[in-house]
Amino acid sequence: MTHFLVMISFAALVAVVFGIVGRDTGRERGLYGLKIFAEFVGIGLALAWLLYFLPL
Amino acid sequence: MPIKERRMDGTTAVEETPAVAWLMGVLAWAVPGAGHLWQGRWGRALLLGGAVWVMFIAGILLGGHLFSPGGQEEGASALLRLPPMIANLGSGILYIYCWATDTGFAEGAEQAARATFEYGNTFLLVSGLLNYLAMLDAFDIAAGRKS
Repeated sequence: MTHFLVMISFAALVAVVFGIVGRDTGRERGLYGLKIFAEFVGIGLALAWLLYFLPL
Repeated sequence: MPIKERRMDGTTAVEETPAVAWLMGVLAWAVPGAGHLWQGRWGRALLLGGAVWVMFIAGILLGGHLFSPGGQEEGASALLRLPPMIANLGSGILYIYCWATDTGFAEGAEQAARATFEYGNTFLLVSGLLNYLAMLDAFDIAAGRKS
């Protein structure tokens, strides 16, 4: 659970900066930030499940 | 440094960068959030600066490691420390404070054995890189290239 929270925190902080720097209007920033956040978390979870099944 | 811009009609416009923009860039690098704060962009300063500060402090608390030029490696392998050091250096005064107080530079097995060691490293590296982005944003605003 701690690892998940750290990942969420990381994704949220990066999404805030990317959202502000990457777009010009408030609405665009919000949507872009949410998209970045969702991509970080989604890809992170997908990779975690993939690695779970690998015999490492 | 002037920036040349080629227009649609074939003419070239030369845009001078105001000196204050360089000052804002340096300020934004030195103290995360200060470049925007100085320009009255309170919201941006709080969010951008806050994200960098929180990420850096979290990285230290998670047991992350900061990179410096001097280390145990010798020869060409010492060059491998350079890219992460440049990323860490992006945190400005946070990195300098840690360097001055020898915080976060420990290189031992105990440090690396912490479960959150790699998380901490990542937080520290990315906080510096994000501050470079914030620095460029403050520079562009001061130069009038961004609203």
